[in-house]
Amino acid sequence: MRMLLVAMMVAFGLQMHAQNVSLTGKVTDASDGFSMPGVTIAVKNSTMGTTTDFDGNYTLGVPAGATVVFSFVGYETQEFVVQKQQTLNVALKAAVTYLNEFVVIGYGQVRKGDATGSVTSVSVKDFNQGVITNPMDLISGKTAGVNITSNSGAPGSGSTIRIRGGSSMTASNDPLFVIDGVPVDNRGIAGTRNPLSTINPNDIETFTVLKDASATAIYGSRASNGVIIITTKKGSNKDGKAIKLDYSGAFSLFTIPKKREVLTGDEFRAMLTEKFGDKPNVLALLGNENTNWQDQIFRQAFGMDHNIAISGQVSKLPYRVSLGYADFDGVLKTDNMKRVSTGIILNPSLFDDHLKINLSAKGTFNMQRFGNEGAIGSAIQMDPTQPVYDEGNIYGGYWTRLQLNGSPVTQSTKNPLALIEQREDKSKVNRFLGNAQFDYKFHFLPELKANLNLGMDRTATYGDIFVPGNASFNFDALDGGGTIGVYEEKKSNELLDFTLTYAKELSTIQSRFDVMGGYSWQHFYRESSSSSTNDTTSPFFVNKIASPLSDFATESYLVSFFGRFNYYFKDRYILTFTLRNDGSSRFSKETRWGLFPSAALAWRIMDEAWMKQFDNLSELKLRVGYGVTGQEDIGVNDYPYMPVYVYGQNTASYQFGNEFYQTYRPGGYDANIKWEETSTINLAVDYGFFRDRIYGSLEFYTRKTKDLINFIPIPAGTNLSNYLVTNVGNLTNTGVEFSINAKPVIKKDMQWEIGFNATFNNNEITKLTAIDDPAYLGVFTGGISGGVGSTIQIFSVGYPSYSFFVFEQVYDQDGKPIEGLYVDRNKDGKITDDDRYHYKKPAPDFTLGFYSKFDYKDWTFSFNGRANFGNYVYDNFNSNNATYERLYRPEGPYLSNVGSDVNEAGFYDPQYTSDYYIKDGSFLKLDNVTVGYSFNDILGKKTNLALSATVNNVFTISKYNGIDPEIFSGIDNLMYPRTRAFVLGLNFSF
Amino acid sequence: MKKIISLFALVATLLVLVPSCVKDLDTVPLDKDVLTPDQVFSDPASYKAFLAKLYAGLSVSGQSGPSGDADISGIDEGFGQYMRGYFYHQQLTTDETVMGWNDQTIKDFHGHVWGSGDNFIAAMYYRIFYQISVANEFIRETTDEKLDSRGVSGDLRTQIAQFRAEARFLRALSYWHALDLFGNVPFVTEKDKVGAFFPQQIQRAALFEYVETELLAIEPEMVGAKSNEYGRADKAAVWTLLAKLYLNAEVYTGTQRYADAVEYSSRVINAGYTLEDKYENLFLADNDQCDEVIFPVTFDGTYTKTYGGTTFIIHAAVGGDMNPADFGIDGGWGGIRTTKSLVQKFYPDVEKGLKVSPTPKSVKDYPVLYVPGSYQDWDPTNTTTVIASVLSDGKYEGYFYFAAGDQFKFTDGPTWDVNYGDTGADGTLDPGGDNISVSEPGVYKINVDLPGLTYTIVKTNWGLIGDATPGGWTDDLDMTYDTASGMLSVVADLTTGSVKFRANDGWDIDFGDTGLDGILEYGGENIPIADAGTYTVSLKVGPPDYTYTIVRSSFDKRAMFHSAGQNLEINDIGTFTEGWAVTKFKNLRRDGTTGSNLIHTDTDFPMFRLADVYLMYAEAVLRGGGGSLAEALNYVNALRTRAYGDDSGNITATELKLDFILDERARELYWEAHRRTDLIRFGKFTTGDYHWPWKGNVPDGTATSSHLNIFPIPSSDIGANPNLQQNPNY
Repeated sequence: MRMLLVAMMVAFGLQMHAQNVSLTGKVTDASDGFSMPGVTIAVKNSTMGTTTDFDGNYTLGVPAGATVVFSFVGYETQEFVVQKQQTLNVALKAAVTYLNEFVVIGYGQVRKGDATGSVTSVSVKDFNQGVITNPMDLISGKTAGVNITSNSGAPGSGSTIRIRGGSSMTASNDPLFVIDGVPVDNRGIAGTRNPLSTINPNDIETFTVLKDASATAIYGSRASNGVIIITTKKGSNKDGKAIKLDYSGAFSLFTIPKKREVLTGDEFRAMLTEKFGDKPNVLALLGNENTNWQDQIFRQAFGMDHNIAISGQVSKLPYRVSLGYADFDGVLKTDNMKRVSTGIILNPSLFDDHLKINLSAKGTFNMQRFGNEGAIGSAIQMDPTQPVYDEGNIYGGYWTRLQLNGSPVTQSTKNPLALIEQREDKSKVNRFLGNAQFDYKFHFLPELKANLNLGMDRTATYGDIFVPGNASFNFDALDGGGTIGVYEEKKSNELLDFTLTYAKELSTIQSRFDVMGGYSWQHFYRESSSSSTNDTTSPFFVNKIASPLSDFATESYLVSFFGRFNYYFKDRYILTFTLRNDGSSRFSKETRWGLFPSAALAWRIMDEAWMKQFDNLSELKLRVGYGVTGQEDIGVNDYPYMPVYVYGQNTASYQFGNEFYQTYRPGGYDANIKWEETSTINLAVDYGFFRDRIYGSLEFYTRKTKDLINFIPIPAGTNLSNYLVTNVGNLTNTGVEFSINAKPVIKKDMQWEIGFNATFNNNEITKLTAIDDPAYLGVFTGGISGGVGSTIQIFSVGYPSYSFFVFEQVYDQDGKPIEGLYVDRNKDGKITDDDRYHYKKPAPDFTLGFYSKFDYKDWTFSFNGRANFGNYVYDNFNSNNATYERLYRPEGPYLSNVGSDVNEAGFYDPQYTSDYYIKDGSFLKLDNVTVGYSFNDILGKKTNLALSATVNNVFTISKYNGIDPEIFSGIDNLMYPRTRAFVLGLNFSF
Repeated sequence: MKKIISLFALVATLLVLVPSCVKDLDTVPLDKDVLTPDQVFSDPASYKAFLAKLYAGLSVSGQSGPSGDADISGIDEGFGQYMRGYFYHQQLTTDETVMGWNDQTIKDFHGHVWGSGDNFIAAMYYRIFYQISVANEFIRETTDEKLDSRGVSGDLRTQIAQFRAEARFLRALSYWHALDLFGNVPFVTEKDKVGAFFPQQIQRAALFEYVETELLAIEPEMVGAKSNEYGRADKAAVWTLLAKLYLNAEVYTGTQRYADAVEYSSRVINAGYTLEDKYENLFLADNDQCDEVIFPVTFDGTYTKTYGGTTFIIHAAVGGDMNPADFGIDGGWGGIRTTKSLVQKFYPDVEKGLKVSPTPKSVKDYPVLYVPGSYQDWDPTNTTTVIASVLSDGKYEGYFYFAAGDQFKFTDGPTWDVNYGDTGADGTLDPGGDNISVSEPGVYKINVDLPGLTYTIVKTNWGLIGDATPGGWTDDLDMTYDTASGMLSVVADLTTGSVKFRANDGWDIDFGDTGLDGILEYGGENIPIADAGTYTVSLKVGPPDYTYTIVRSSFDKRAMFHSAGQNLEINDIGTFTEGWAVTKFKNLRRDGTTGSNLIHTDTDFPMFRLADVYLMYAEAVLRGGGGSLAEALNYVNALRTRAYGDDSGNITATELKLDFILDERARELYWEAHRRTDLIRFGKFTTGDYHWPWKGNVPDGTATSSHLNIFPIPSSDIGANPNLQQNPNY
């Protein structure tokens, strides 16, 4: 009845105000009186409106009696009821609400204007478009100092994230992830390519990146490599609606932008005949086909993603329920990932909002079949003159190179399609992530708040692998080959956090402060088991060969006390001090506690009276911070300080008489192992011009890590192994970050927003051994294909981590490399290992990110991209596969395809350590282009349908001629190619 | 208010909980295979399991066979296996072995260009010190005080005393490897507890003294020779190691100790070991049955799996045209071969070419008569079982090997349409007649006169005759028929001269080679033999042409090479087919069956064996250590007799010279990881006295720097331990 009445009144109202009046005027900034262009002037409850011109003037026809709303980002909105024609000049005041906008920080939140640390947050409206399976792709390129490199094009694959370069060496360089207040274990989940792939990107509200120590030190021993806080979407009571439904769907087509260049069958026959024409036994190995093996294993793949979220409020209880279903094929045949994700969030407030409760539960069910990635390398090496199939052979009909006795040649490249189709590698991963947060404001003392956060993260993995007994790549003539394998893993992570916060305004001394103290307890547990046998169901089966059952369990605890003190003087001078005391079960009683302090000062220069004269400047803030953080992620061993014995498997027994004895091995340990420590200095300026139509920041930092947790050689004979995880070495990262965002056009129907960020980072190892020995080269790292154990990189004092360590190639007049001839750098007349030198590194010197978003009426057009400069790539594909020697492999014997680069370099034998293969990998990538259109009110009011078309990985500009120059490790060795995706998106909400 | 109370209750609860949560930090391993020392030693069986680890340290690379939980780091697990590393150092640096792989710096061994940053050298060094450290830990954990505190007594206590002596033996063994390979190394004993400290460097001579003292000290505590369980060391192992130490004492300390070498090798010789009858059995999958082996490093395809040890040696030696199944493995890795310097120790003239007979030109097409029979499943379409008419005159001839009772017929084409037998066995052919049969096995000469419808069949026993043979033109050397190859052959010591083939000890049927075209003619010219030497002479009697090969060979059964498809010369060290392959180690049992696994071999590595001790004795005697020269000769000839199958290879006292010993050690012990030490003792490792292909990285070999006689201390340890001084010139 009441509804009807309202409807009637609306109808009457429209009738009554049919008569228009004209409104003109000028909009100025209340603080300085300058005109404001681009201010939106809208008539409430209608689609009428305009924006001010460059001089701040406007003209608008409105129905008499209408309410006109003046709004501008960062300013307080003003409303006027207009009855008659008039000139209406409006002075808009900068919104305090802008400064009051909160960003999430560790154990709390802070007003943007009060932030003293380097905190960048990216929320849902700024996410990259068309993003599919990996949440980190949502913010790739968006934030200065955060370098996100997706690991491959496989569905559900992860990213390598580096915040301001890596501050560790052996220990993990990954940032700490905190999901809804629960720090999660980054150590991977069995049966997934990426632990984050079990999080539905559609449930994420914001990413907040904490970069400097004054922001991260509150996370103490896990904060050295930055912190990424993910908050998920909450129940909403904004408009008090009982129910709001959002559906989003995406349909994707994935393709491979590029394939590796190898010889065709005809080219291969010609080259083999040229090189081995006098050897009939070699030529006899040739076939007559022209098979493109890469075409055999790759495909165009489809994917879809559906998400429904229902949110609203049921009798004062805001809620959000979401359900997602995703199904993605990989471009590698048989590769597939399916994910069902469910979430429920309840946000009740009790006792007049004194107790706010956030209950959240997310369940994700991932089902994956892993395409055999080994086939990618095989496809490139496989003899292109052979057919794909050999109908009727016993190896499933896949062509196979055979020995005299009919067994497969073990060393020969295996049929790539057989590798894929004869291996079923499946997993199911269930994850439950839940937490309950209680935020209580004391009735008697509202300045005092208590927060209790109970969190739990559990995963269970069930995987199985089957290879039939007739697979040529798993053949065993004696016992019967194939594999039937199963594996399981259970992980849990339980958290209890409790904080008390007290905030007080002391207006007499123009001050306010808040202080927080907290306690945190966290327990990580993991157990796993695996077992396998040969294929007992195969007709080739003879004897059951069971690989030893491996089962494993481990745990660790972290107990912490922490506190933060913020002091604000005149709202212009802000001091933050934090302290955390972490205790870890991974270290001995003597070394387990670590203290991590930080201090920061911010000065809001803009708010000084003498700044008023700078008209165009709208924001100027100086921030200085210092802090110490730690790293305790030391690898798989949770007991590195403890002497323990490991019981050997029965396959590593020793024969005494006629019995085989399983053995006890005492393990190496470092009783004194402790945290590594990184101290960071951060200096930053935040700026804004033209009422923040242009804004950004400039930051400088140095991060010095000492007592690196390092896996290094120890003096021989002193311990029970030759390498130990111990604290040796120092490392420095120095860098500059710059970001700028601008809104060149702000009109009612047309808005344009662009952004750009740039980062420079320099990484240098400053100490590596207990003793400073100038003759000590360093620790070799960066294993390559071709020669077991061969490495191409090194950790050396005075050089960046993972510097390439190579010989300097000599070239002939035509610029062709001369095989085996290198520069005698130490001028001793001989070319020895001592002539190798440090040449470039994989990490970029500069990384740039940019985006543009353009809205015109119901259309939207956006793109974003990135560029890296100074990142180098070792072309391991060519160093290993583009030599004449590769063609014929006497250890089989078999034939192997070679890269087309063999014609460029002309090497006969591999020259693995030549700097010829170190290539400039600098690139510019357009990551996303999206066009969207929304239909408003399509099915009645407040229903919205939006369609979008996105292309991901649009193009790459680079001198590097491999598939993709963006290789985190710097060693290009045939990764699962990143796909180009064409995505059709559909959003519907009411 | 109620809420406030409940909140305070919560806070109070937390305050109680906090201290207990701090206690959570005291964790112990949850894995049932990861135990604290207290847990381990509460089990009486743990001592033997710990001892097994000390032995397994020579054999496997970690706690998960074949790989997965390595003992040492910084190197691929298979490369880091003890015996594989030892093989690399002792073999790849010498004339006996080249390696073709591209793994890191592996080719630097043969080229004599290794440096202190070499990862393989570091792996061997750390493997040695791993053994030493773990042995030290065993010795620390089995002191009287510890055993008393754990209440260990009785039989277990007695056993542990033996274990402890064996732990000290294994530590001495590794310290011997350290002093032999690296010279001056860090020195740690059970007195140095596990921790972070800088060991002092010990000089080579002082380490010699320590190893000698240790071995002499444990000798009475060790189990008697041949009395311990298989795989475990006994007194004879201690004596052998002492003998080795003394034989090389001059290299290690500058002082000769040959008399001691004679003494301790005699003790081993008199301990009752016997030479294995067949040399090849020593390197097979069931070589644990050989009484000759004094101290093996054991491997097993099921229970002792590794990518090092014999698994490496056997796989890496197979490639090219070799058939992996002949070695009991799934496939070859194509890496290691030998140089001609080793081959020449068996075949002195091998460089002149292995094959001395001419290769026949392409064979002409002759009219043929098919000879289907029971010996070939009565298949008239088989074109290899035919007789030919060289003159196309209807008269056919050919040779066949028949077993007793074999039957056959002739067909005029690959069908049964026109066939001939002999009804009544009267020598005339009858169309569609009865099968012709033979009663005795042998090679038969068949002649058919088709127009005349007659045939003859004559059994032939072939021999080699001529003034190049020991029997001159009067007695021939009988040739034996091999059914697999269809060839008659004989291995003979020939002198310069000529040979012919004849049948049935007479001149009715004989072959020579007129025009030396590789095709034999009846009554043809004599075949010349240009160089004296050992040859394998083979005869292939049709069809249709009769051919022969004369190939340099060896009477010495220890010459176990694969030369087909392999170049003797090495032009590119990276190519497996350059250099002869070695077929000595196999994963086959004596009965020809395959070991228990096709990837991981059952073959044990004979670290110490009697033949080595015989040669050490002989050498020590020759070097003036006393003993008996006659016995020395007997021991050497015992090995020669086994090698030749009779006394034809035996040497005289005057031939027993030091250089002969060095060559004989190569012939007897090649690829058994003795070679580098031997060459250094004889002053031939780096000097210009002896070159082998690619020594010093040049094709013909060259002298290299004498500092290479010991390996460098790895630069990683120099960087980690300030007390260490690098070996000279590294």
